[in-house]
Amino acid sequence: MWQIYLKELLELVRDRKTLFFIIALPLLIFPVIFAVMGVVVANVAMDEQQKVLKYTLINADKAPKFSQTLFYHRDFTQIDLSLNTDQEIKQAIQNGQIDVVIKVNQSHEQNIANNQKDNWQIYFNGASQLNSVKSKVDKVFLQYSNTLRQQKLAELSLSEQQYERLTTPISLEVINTADQRENVGEQVGGLLPYLLIVLCLTGAMYPAIDLGAGEKERGTLETLLLTPISRISIVLGKYLTIMTTGIITALIAVFSLSLWSFIIGEFANIDVVREVFASFTASDLLLILLMLVPVSGIFAGLLLSISIYARSFKEAQNYMGPVSMLGFFPIMVAMLPGIKLDWLWSLVPISNVALAIKEILKGTIDYTMLIYILMSSTVFAILSIIFCVYWFKKESVLFR
Amino acid sequence: MISVVQVSKSFTLSKEAKKQFLHESHDERQQSNHFQALKKVSFSCDRGQVLGLLGPNGAGKTTTLRILASALKPDSGEIIVDGINVIENARVAKEKIGFLSTKTGLYSRLTAKENIEYFAKLHGMSGQQIAQYSEPLYQQLGIGSYLHRRVDTLSSGMTQKISIARAVIHQPEIIVLDEPTTGLDIMATEVILDFIQRYKAQGKAVIFSTHHLDEVAMLADKIAIINQGSSCFDGDIRQLQEQTQCHDLRAAFMQMLASTENH
Repeated sequence: MWQIYLKELLELVRDRKTLFFIIALPLLIFPVIFAVMGVVVANVAMDEQQKVLKYTLINADKAPKFSQTLFYHRDFTQIDLSLNTDQEIKQAIQNGQIDVVIKVNQSHEQNIANNQKDNWQIYFNGASQLNSVKSKVDKVFLQYSNTLRQQKLAELSLSEQQYERLTTPISLEVINTADQRENVGEQVGGLLPYLLIVLCLTGAMYPAIDLGAGEKERGTLETLLLTPISRISIVLGKYLTIMTTGIITALIAVFSLSLWSFIIGEFANIDVVREVFASFTASDLLLILLMLVPVSGIFAGLLLSISIYARSFKEAQNYMGPVSMLGFFPIMVAMLPGIKLDWLWSLVPISNVALAIKEILKGTIDYTMLIYILMSSTVFAILSIIFCVYWFKKESVLFR
Repeated sequence: MISVVQVSKSFTLSKEAKKQFLHESHDERQQSNHFQALKKVSFSCDRGQVLGLLGPNGAGKTTTLRILASALKPDSGEIIVDGINVIENARVAKEKIGFLSTKTGLYSRLTAKENIEYFAKLHGMSGQQIAQYSEPLYQQLGIGSYLHRRVDTLSSGMTQKISIARAVIHQPEIIVLDEPTTGLDIMATEVILDFIQRYKAQGKAVIFSTHHLDEVAMLADKIAIINQGSSCFDGDIRQLQEQTQCHDLRAAFMQMLASTENH
């Protein structure tokens, strides 16, 4: 078994594709992706902030002060269009002729004079997540609305403080008992286990295809079967190799995560990241790694079984898509709101580890649960090995 | 030394294979869900003999050799190698047999030497034994100059020689070669044919399948012919010529196939 294990590792180390999936992907690609995403989003947001909005104000004569403020504001440029119906307004926005239309109520001045609440409409395309139209209009609109309110309060001989006491008789002060780490753990606790577990899967996937279907296709599996080595030893040798690659990928991913968190915290001077990073201990990282060991074991068994079944490298790759979905599903379930780690969830493979990593990140892990998780995951990993050995002994699978 | 006695083997057909057979093949060996690859195949080969296994494509030669090398289990029949039942004692039998399939069976990312030594270790050989047996083998095959090159950088002839070294490093009593010269140039073919003769001279048994009748005429002491999964001849060349009344080996072979198909 160890001969096979060492040979498989040597072969994988000499394979560029494997090295890419095991080392380069977790170490470099993810931080690069995040950095690129950060730069792109920041640029888009900056462009959006600097953008001068083309507007049309309907019934401008009914609110001359507002019209004047908007006209001289640097964020806006007026476009004179005759827009009479909602359809025409929508069409103009869709065509890009204008970005925003503000429709002042025809009876605005009368309503204000009669102390009636007035109602205006604002039209814009709010599909983009980074849309700043509403916030820009609000700046001008709220300023105008405050001026009107102050006039009315003066007419009623009321101060701002009196007005506030009337509108808000009781205030509710929120005191969050969760510490910084728990808050951040809750926020990133969904994403991080997802990334780590998916990396375990991708790290093990290519070697699994190579060691099963790849060997079948190249004819080396037949040669291996003709040696006096038992099939259990062959399966265990291959299984351990795939599991090792999964663990190494996870190890590099955790290392990469720590390194990049440190770099961002220290050099980009982001206090939140620095504080959260400082609150993690080496034992937290070790616990996360420990959790990923049985996950790699389950993936190794699953992937090797499929790979052995496939007739060729290409066929194995085709099977890996649906298998990945099988791997993602338990992680997605664990990310659902309201799902908490309890004894029942501690028995569900992969979901249990995703939930445990989240609790470790928050600093609220129950160590008894870790024992349940390790035990149940180990049972599933052993079952996957037993299935692999059974599969490997079937002629109809090996010589399809 | 080797007796293949009444060996039969059938395979369960996959859905795709069934469809393919339905549309393309009219092979009588196909049943509803099974394909009868071998039907009571028998032949024998003694020490110091070379047996040429002949038959058209799809006759069952590779299946026979795979069963002989204990990669596959037969449904019935038995194979005795040096008094050992291959089916019951596969592990012991594997020590006595060296097998070379149609694919070279080498790991492309390992060097030639690493490949040979890996299989030697899987056969339980110590470092000392490997050193003792490998040097003469490297010289005999003329592979010493490229032992440290990765297999994926070698030519097909070089690869085939390394593959032979891999198959016999554990000093088997019998070597089984499945179409060993297919796709090789004349020089590489010569080395392999020479190797078979040397192996025979050492008093060991060689069984090889081929489509090259000139190689059979040159090397084989015995011939076994399989057609449509059944044995149709087991004997020496003279017996084949007498039985078919043909002096030319090619004509005798064709005559033998035709006579079994008529039956």
